[in-house]
Amino acid sequence: MKKPKRKLTLPEKIDLPPLLDLWEQQDPSGPDATGIYDFYRNLAEGELTTTKCKSCGKLMFPPQIICPNCYSDELEWVRIPEEGELYAFTELRLGAPIIVENYTPFVIAIARFGNYPENGVQISGMMFDVKYEDLKIGDKVRWEILEIEGPGEKKRYWYYFEKVE
Amino acid sequence: MSMRNVAIVGVGITRFGVREASWKDLVLEAGKSLFDDVPNLDKKDIDSLFVGAAQPERWIYQTHVAPLVAELLGIEVKRVIARTESACASGQLAIRYAWLSIATGLSDVALVVGVEKMNSKFLNISQSSMINVGNREFDGANGFTAPPFFAMVAQRHMHLYGTTEEQMAMVRVKNQEYGSQNPYAQFQKKVTVEQVLNSRMVAPPLKLFDCSAITDGAVALLLTSEERAREFTDTPVWILGGVQHVDAAHTTNQMGELADWVALRKAAKDLYDMLKITPDDIDIAEVHDCFTISEIIEYEELGFCKKGEGGKFIEEGESYIGGKVAVNPGGGLLANGHPLGATGTRQAWEIVMQFRGEVPKGRYVDGAELAIAHNLSGMAQLHHIMAYSVNKPRDIKFGR
Repeated sequence: MKKPKRKLTLPEKIDLPPLLDLWEQQDPSGPDATGIYDFYRNLAEGELTTTKCKSCGKLMFPPQIICPNCYSDELEWVRIPEEGELYAFTELRLGAPIIVENYTPFVIAIARFGNYPENGVQISGMMFDVKYEDLKIGDKVRWEILEIEGPGEKKRYWYYFEKVE
Repeated sequence: MSMRNVAIVGVGITRFGVREASWKDLVLEAGKSLFDDVPNLDKKDIDSLFVGAAQPERWIYQTHVAPLVAELLGIEVKRVIARTESACASGQLAIRYAWLSIATGLSDVALVVGVEKMNSKFLNISQSSMINVGNREFDGANGFTAPPFFAMVAQRHMHLYGTTEEQMAMVRVKNQEYGSQNPYAQFQKKVTVEQVLNSRMVAPPLKLFDCSAITDGAVALLLTSEERAREFTDTPVWILGGVQHVDAAHTTNQMGELADWVALRKAAKDLYDMLKITPDDIDIAEVHDCFTISEIIEYEELGFCKKGEGGKFIEEGESYIGGKVAVNPGGGLLANGHPLGATGTRQAWEIVMQFRGEVPKGRYVDGAELAIAHNLSGMAQLHHIMAYSVNKPRDIKFGR
């Protein structure tokens, strides 16, 4: 019978696998760079924006670098109207993704901003400090900026919805 | 283009559930079960292999799984080998590609394996990975796993059409009644409407019993052409055709009205036109009841009832055996569980067992000749339907 002759020691801590990070694609350069980085830059500056085609006028969400309608690459950044209407919502009570588990229960909603679908968007968003029971379809909501700290030194920006009282 | 007729000529299955078995164990169990089912099959007959698997790279940290299956079952693949992925419909995709490969003459005998291993000590990895089937960057980032998405679908359907939580519960009651007679199903106990309504809230209005489960399981199918079908079985099940439809839509913004699954409506019309049939001709419908609300919407979009009347359809018992159409007589995803890659193949397994008359009497659809299997994938953006029959296809033109 042989005793182990050699031993390997693994790192004490293995970082959260990047695939479990919900907000990873937000770097302006390097291999994670995205052509729609302005979306994230604008969020950091307090604006929720998307792209609109200068050629055919199509408003898209998510923002893109090429228009899915006419394939023009002449797009402009436009601000999403601040107030919208709650289209659907629920409250995540069981089975939350790992990175947001600590925040459950929280409301997940879809809201319409502007004149959807012709000239508006239907987007999803989280809602905090509000219960499922306190909401109804058609309620007015507005988007706000969410700051996400961590892991480590990272600081990123996203958006969420708040009920307009 | 002339196409060869293709049939399913053998089936194998594992018990579905929270299994003390690895992904590889499941493949081996299903494979052995298939070889037991087809005594005349020599593994050298198999020239092609299609493996339906949704997220093995996330749940067992393994990619390149098709050659792994070839190794496990000792099969030398000489023609076509592929792993197919379309989230919750990965299994049906494997059948579709095997069918096409045989129909065109590229393959003669194809093995299809649908498999998923979703349970582990780190259970939450499964739900966390479901955020990747929607647009991860823009919907996943808001916590959009399947339950909250389908909860909003249910909320919209209730809002627009007056569907009730009781009607949704009735879907689970029906599927458990059949699941209670399916020894391979994850859940084999009958439930009552009250039990469904009183089960733990997951994402309102969806309770735990409104949801299909995180499941391990595998199914193996043998497909071949008309020329060789009788070598393997006296009861081939013929593939009549298949359709898929996705609008240019993946993210919430492109989905329009959540309670109306327009892509499914279009896919169904395409299938019925292709086969020159109507919904009334369908004896068995295996549909994708990932949530109770899904089955209700599927009644409507498949044309079994008018839009908005899906709740009434289950309430009046029309989707039971003996009703207008037998929907999910094997218990559906709700009773069987939903191991993503295995689900589409499990539906085909059920249809083969029904046509052979090898299911318990209480869930047997006597005299059935035409069946469809419907899968949706992701947040109900993409729909897949295949049609199966005891009768050989006649005069079906592709590229209609």
